[in-house]
Amino acid sequence: MVTNVSMASAVNEGAVHWDPYDPRYFANPYPVFRRLREEAPFYYNEQYDFFAVSRYEDVVRTLGDRDTFISARGDILEFIKNNTPMPPGMFIYEDPPLHTIHRGILTRVFTPKKMNALEPQIRAFCANALDPLVAGGEFNFIDDLGAEMPMRIIGMLLGIPDEDLKKVQHFVDQSLSTEPGKPMDTSGASLGGDVYADYIDWRAKNPSNDLMTELLNVEFVDETGTTRKLRREEVLTFIGILAGAGNETTNRLIGWTGKTLAEHPDQRRQIHENRGLIPQAIEEILRFEPPGPAVSRYVARDTEFYGTKVPEGSAVVGISAAANRDERKFANGDSFDIHRERVPHLSFGYGFHNCLGNALARIEGRVALDEILKRFPDWEIDLDNARLSSTSSVRGWETLPAYAPNAKRGTRRPKAVAPETPAPVPAGAETWKMTLKTPMGPQEMTAHLIRQGDSLSGRVDSPAGSEAIHDGKVAGDVLTWILNVKKPMPIQLTFEVKVQGDLMTGSVKLGVFGSAELTGARVHS
Amino acid sequence: MPKVTFIEDSNGSEHVVEVGVGLSVMQAAKLNGVPGIDGDCGGCCICGTCHVYVEPAWRQRTGERTDFETATLEFAENVQANSRLGCQINMTEALDGLVVRVPGSDR
Repeated sequence: MVTNVSMASAVNEGAVHWDPYDPRYFANPYPVFRRLREEAPFYYNEQYDFFAVSRYEDVVRTLGDRDTFISARGDILEFIKNNTPMPPGMFIYEDPPLHTIHRGILTRVFTPKKMNALEPQIRAFCANALDPLVAGGEFNFIDDLGAEMPMRIIGMLLGIPDEDLKKVQHFVDQSLSTEPGKPMDTSGASLGGDVYADYIDWRAKNPSNDLMTELLNVEFVDETGTTRKLRREEVLTFIGILAGAGNETTNRLIGWTGKTLAEHPDQRRQIHENRGLIPQAIEEILRFEPPGPAVSRYVARDTEFYGTKVPEGSAVVGISAAANRDERKFANGDSFDIHRERVPHLSFGYGFHNCLGNALARIEGRVALDEILKRFPDWEIDLDNARLSSTSSVRGWETLPAYAPNAKRGTRRPKAVAPETPAPVPAGAETWKMTLKTPMGPQEMTAHLIRQGDSLSGRVDSPAGSEAIHDGKVAGDVLTWILNVKKPMPIQLTFEVKVQGDLMTGSVKLGVFGSAELTGARVHS
Repeated sequence: MPKVTFIEDSNGSEHVVEVGVGLSVMQAAKLNGVPGIDGDCGGCCICGTCHVYVEPAWRQRTGERTDFETATLEFAENVQANSRLGCQINMTEALDGLVVRVPGSDR
């Protein structure tokens, strides 16, 4: 645990330094963002070889000039640095003309008018989730609401009936869990976008009034001038993006709503007394604690910032969370004030790649806050049992328990607890320390592998937990296996590594999100 | 100060408002409570909730929309050739008397 003293010195002393993967900055990155804006508005990080801009105008320029700062290499630093290949239909990582075509298919589905029409369903879900908790006075912004409501609304939009959505969830849970002494069930159709594959095939035969049917039937002119429908893998990618983006970010917004308003009870009281303040409160929460703190771009042609040349091929990180507090644009940017003059924040991005789901996120955030205030006008956060996570794309609460002043404390526990004690290492297993360069930053994992002829078994331990591998194969010195992880999101990892003595190199396919490099070293017991 | 007239498309009611030079048509509507213009994103050209139709006589003076604006207008409904986002039209003295229709006022 880092003390406040060492945190303060890391931030305040010496040349300004920002490491997006350093957990010391997760809890409060804002002091370092302030120093970046004032002392190093065009910052270069040697270790990871990227540039960062933190002033409002510079982030706007980076996101707005799509000819210089392109998206085709991804918007997450690691994707850009690793030159991660993108699957077809990954429109968030495309440039014109493909991006215009693909995004255009979806924008008309996500109009504010259509999203606002979902209000009754959003409200009903919040009411159902919160009503049973009023008497006990304890509730969890993430477990009870954030991790549930946005997912259900996206499921509903896609046309997966609520009952079936539960089945999908159940299926995901089942296929991921292993009972002690039993191998993981590998019969399932796997995870990520593939979970929806059966629904796509079913919907193709049973059209309905939903987004999946619309995506299956929409006709558009593609980049070759051909009028066609989306291919099955494109539909899968679209749905993977929507399901991922529609869950995670709004979940974080709901968490930050709980945390920020608990720290500003006077403003919370004003909102409680005048619900007309909710829209501007949500905007201020979005500005103050953006769920997506930074967006990156690949530099496609030489350019410059503050007289410094930025060569083609560089990666530039636009720190929207820093720009959102730039004093040049927001007076007292580091204070939370729902009454501040409305200046557009950059939490939904800026330019052609701005958040397609912004209207949905807004209505979900507004309704959630309204329904919470109806039942819990005051709450405190149980920080001892709360957990924050930060990756290069999303920062927010994994679990955020709260309680009302009248609460009988301790009746509820956060659902997601710390990783369980790992099972004993299988006898005869070889142990490997592996590092994956993933979009969430470098990830450490330990593999315990047993080679028997051409088959491979064992398990992989990571901070997110311990999971058995399946479909393991040995072909000479090449090992392949599949690992289904639940956190930070359900995703199927496909490993392919080459073993040379005590070293391991290879790659891991990360569901639909491209692949990551892997290196490993044998651990001798 | 220049004036803008907003006409609600659904019922024809008119709102004539004065607006400082440099403010946008969206801000003019918000400051004066003109219905149908939400300006959810605060003028970022992101949300498409300040959709207006510029009356033909004024189209040349307001100029044409940018690619960026066209992309965001895909969020709006019933887009026409004279559709603009109010947040992207900044008021000048030359726009004194501007007339726009508000398609979203029946929401």
